Amino acid sequence: MSRLGERLLGVAEAAIGAEGADDAEALVIREAGGLTRFASSRIHQSTWREDVAVRLRLVLDGNRVGTATVHDLQPAAVASAARRAAEVARTMPPDPGYPGMPGPADYAVTERWDEATAATDPATRAGLVAGAVRRLPAGVTAAGACETRELEVAVANLRGVRALGASTAASFSILADAGSGTGWAEGAEPCLADLDVAALGERAARKAVDAREPRELSPGAYPVVLEPAAVATLVQFLGWLGFGAKAYDEGRSFLVGRLGQRVCSPLVTIVDDALAADTIGVGFDFEGVPKRRVTLIEEGVAASLVYDYRAARRHGVEPTGHGLPAPSAEGAYPMHLAMLPGDTPQQELVAGMERGLLVTRFHYTNLVNLMETTITGMTRDGTFWVEDGQVRGAVRNLRFTQSILGALSAVRAVGAHTELASEDGYGAARAPALAIDRFNFSSATTF
Amino acid sequence: MEPEELTELALGAAVAAGAGYADARWVRQETESLTVTDDRVDDLEAEDSRGLGVRVLVDGHWGFAASAVLDPDRVRGLGRRAVEIARAAASLPGEPARLAPVEPAVASWSTPVGRDPFAVPLAERVELLLAACEAQRAVAGLTHARATVDLWRRRTLFWSSEGARLDQTVTQAGAGIEAVAVGDGDLQQRSWPNSFRGQFLAGGWEVVEAADLVGNAPRVAGEAVALLHAPELPERVTTVILDGQQLSLQVHESVGHPLELDRIFGTEAAYAGTSFVRPSDRGRLRYGSPAMSVTSDATTPGGLGTFGFDDEGVPAQRAPLVAGGTLEGFLTSRETATALGATSSGAMRADGWGNPPLIRMTNVNLEPGEGSLDELVADTADGLLLSVNRSWSIDDRRVNFQFGVEAAWEIRAGRLGRLYKNATYDGRTTEFWGSLDAVCGPEAWVVWGIPNCGKGQPFQNGRVSHGAAPGRFRDVHVGVRGA
Repeated sequence: MSRLGERLLGVAEAAIGAEGADDAEALVIREAGGLTRFASSRIHQSTWREDVAVRLRLVLDGNRVGTATVHDLQPAAVASAARRAAEVARTMPPDPGYPGMPGPADYAVTERWDEATAATDPATRAGLVAGAVRRLPAGVTAAGACETRELEVAVANLRGVRALGASTAASFSILADAGSGTGWAEGAEPCLADLDVAALGERAARKAVDAREPRELSPGAYPVVLEPAAVATLVQFLGWLGFGAKAYDEGRSFLVGRLGQRVCSPLVTIVDDALAADTIGVGFDFEGVPKRRVTLIEEGVAASLVYDYRAARRHGVEPTGHGLPAPSAEGAYPMHLAMLPGDTPQQELVAGMERGLLVTRFHYTNLVNLMETTITGMTRDGTFWVEDGQVRGAVRNLRFTQSILGALSAVRAVGAHTELASEDGYGAARAPALAIDRFNFSSATTF
Repeated sequence: MEPEELTELALGAAVAAGAGYADARWVRQETESLTVTDDRVDDLEAEDSRGLGVRVLVDGHWGFAASAVLDPDRVRGLGRRAVEIARAAASLPGEPARLAPVEPAVASWSTPVGRDPFAVPLAERVELLLAACEAQRAVAGLTHARATVDLWRRRTLFWSSEGARLDQTVTQAGAGIEAVAVGDGDLQQRSWPNSFRGQFLAGGWEVVEAADLVGNAPRVAGEAVALLHAPELPERVTTVILDGQQLSLQVHESVGHPLELDRIFGTEAAYAGTSFVRPSDRGRLRYGSPAMSVTSDATTPGGLGTFGFDDEGVPAQRAPLVAGGTLEGFLTSRETATALGATSSGAMRADGWGNPPLIRMTNVNLEPGEGSLDELVADTADGLLLSVNRSWSIDDRRVNFQFGVEAAWEIRAGRLGRLYKNATYDGRTTEFWGSLDAVCGPEAWVVWGIPNCGKGQPFQNGRVSHGAAPGRFRDVHVGVRGA
C-alpha cells in the first residue's frame, strides 16, 4: 500500500459524523515498515508489516465518554466501532471533569517524509546489513537490525481539528562480538540515506576488539563518561518519572515540590522538542494539538511540565501538545526529549578524567525509587577503565543503582555532539555524552 | 471473504511464489482494558484488531509479511512479499534453517471459560472497580486508589503448507488494585493480587471475581499507608522468603529467559541478549539446589501460556527444564530443536498477526515442595519475607539480577515482625538458586500471570505464566551497596 495521506483524513472526517455525538474525535493511524535482523553474521529474521487503526472518542449527554478502536479503514468496520464507542459512552458514568476537545490549529511541522525511506525494499536493507558484516575484521561477528518505517497520522474532531502528518524513520543497530568482548553502535534518522551504516559497523567492531579480555572491577562509586546512548536512557527515564501534569497532580512525579528549584547541575538543560529539525515524528499530539517546545529543566532548574488538553484546562494554561490518546490514565508524556549539548568534544570528556569508567550503553534499566529518581541497570557492550585520560582496557560489566538527578547533579562536562536514540517512529530522545564525577555501581557480573 | 478463505489465499500465494515451507496465521484480537482511579473512570480501551501474517522459508531463509488490510489482492500480495523478503535474506551466507518434523494437525481448541468476560456489562465492571476504589479510600492516609480489569480474546487460524489446519480461541482476563500513599517526599504502593494491573489467567469473568478486589482493598490500602511510615530496609546478607508473586518473576527472568534456545544460539544478542547457558549444559549444569524443579507446561490450567498448539502448529507439551537442581531441557522451536536432534518443545508464540513467532515461555512452573507459608515462616529463625514485585533488572546473559519488592517483613524467631520499605535484593543466578532450601506445598502454589514479557525486533509482547509457591533462599544480599 502506498502512502494514504488525505484518505486517512477522509476516514476520520466521516467517522466523527456518526452516532450524533455531542463531541466526537477520530484518530487514524497507518504504520508500515520492514526490519532485517541478523545474528552470527547471518540474516535470520526479516519482516514487513502494515497496520491501520481508527480510534473513535464519542461524547454523549455532554460528558459521558466512550472510545473504541478498530484496525480496519472500511466504512462498515469504522461504523461498527462508532456504535461500540457510543454504547460505551452510554454506559459510562458522567465525567464531571470532561474538558471538551481542542479546536482547530495551525501546525508548524506536519511532514518528515522521505519517499526513498518509505519505499525501501528488503534487498536494500539486506544489502546494508551484508555490507556492514563484510567489513568486520577477522574474528568478529555481528548481530543487529536495519529498520525502515513510515507513519501517517490524521486527527479530526467536531470542533474543527483537521490534522494530517507523516514521518519516516530509519535505524541501524549493530552488536559486534570479538569473542571475549562485544561492542555496539546504533543510528537513527528520518532518512535512510543519512545513516552512516559503515561508520556504525566500524565503531561497534572497534569497541568489541578493545573490549576483549575484560578485567574484574570492584563495585563502588566511580567517575564516569556516559556515551550518548547511556545518557538517553537517563533522560528517557526522567521523562517517564513525572514531567506530565497528571502525574504531578496525582503526586506520582519526582517534580512534586521541586518546580522552580535547582534539581541538578546548571550544565544540564532538557527540552521536549518535536519541532526540532533532527527528530522523528509528526507535529501534533494524539488530540490534534500542535506540539510545542517545552523546556523541562533549564540550566539545572525544574522549569515546566507538559500538558494534554484535559490537564491544561484544569491548570488554566495552553496545552503543550503532549497528549496521548484521550482519555488516558497516564496523561501527557514527552516523546521528543533532548538534552542540549555542551561545548566539550566527546574525546575530551575522557581525556579530562583522571580515573573512572567509560560506558557505552545500559541494559534492562528499571525504576527503583520514583521520588528519588533512582534506577538500576547493567552496563553492556563496551565498558572501559580510564586512567590519566586514557582508556586502559575493558572491565567486566557492572550493575548501577543510581539516582538520575544525583548523577545529573554531578555532571562535570557535557559533550558537544548529540545522538538520536531509542526512536520508535512516534518519538525519540537525543542526548550528548556526559562526564559525571560520581556514579554508583552496586554489583558486578561475570563477563 | 471468510477468514479461512483469506488464510488459504495467502498460503497458496506464498507457495506459488516459491516458498519451500509456508504458514499463514489469521488473527483476531479483542482487548478491553478498564481503569478506575479514585472515583472516576480514567480510561477504557476497547480494541478489535484483525490481520494476517505469512511466514515462509525459501532455500533456508525466513521471510515474513503481515497486514491489517485484508482484501484478496492485498492478501495474495503478502505471500509474494514474504518470499521476496526471504530471497533478500540470502545476501549473507549461513547455515540454512531446517525444521524439525511435526505431525500436521487439523483441530480446534478453546480456553475453558465460565462466564464470557466480554459479555459482562460494562456497567457491572465499572461498578466493581468503583467499589474496589471506594473500599481503599476508606483507609485514612491513602492518597490514590486504582482498580483495573483487562480482557483479551484471541482467535487464531493457523494454516501450513504441510497441511496443518488449526482454529484456536484463547480467552484471558485479569484484575487488580493499586493503593498509593504519598507524603514527605515519598511514594509507596501496595498491590493485589499482584503489581502491574493484578493477576491474569486464562478463563472468563470468574478470574476477576476470584481476585476479590473489594474484600482485599482495606488491607492493601492499610499496608500502603503503613509503608509510607516504615523504615528503609538496611543493607545486609540474610535469609529471604519470596512470596509466590515475586518468585514467579524470579523464575521468569533467571530461569525462563536463559533457557530460550534462540537466546542461547545468539539470535537475540543485539537486543534482549543471550544466555549464560550452553546447549552442552543439559544434564550437567547444576542450576540450583535439589529443591529446585522447574517444568515448562503449556497444559497448566489457567496459565497465560496455555494453548492447544503453538504458532508453529506444535501441540502443547509438558517437559522438565530443571529437575532436582540439574538442567534438563530448553524452550525450543522447530528450527532450533534440529540443532539438538530433537523435536520442538512447542514454545513458538507470536504477538498477534503482525509478528512472526519467537521462542517464548509457556507456563514455566517452579514445582511445589511441601508445607504452608506460615509453616515456612515459623521454620525461619532470622530473615525477611519479601512480597510483590516492584522492579526487575538482569544482565544480558541472565547472570546478575536485582529485584525490588513492594513490602518486606522482618522474620524473627519464626514470626513476622517489622515492616520495611524500598526493599531490594540481588544475586547471581546459579548461586541464588543453589541457596534455595525450601518451597511451599501445593496448597500455596498459584499460577501467576505475567502479561508484559518483551522480546524481539520489532518488539513483541508475550503473555506467560509461572506456577510458584513461596520459597526460601539463604545468604541473600538485600539493600543497595553504596546507596
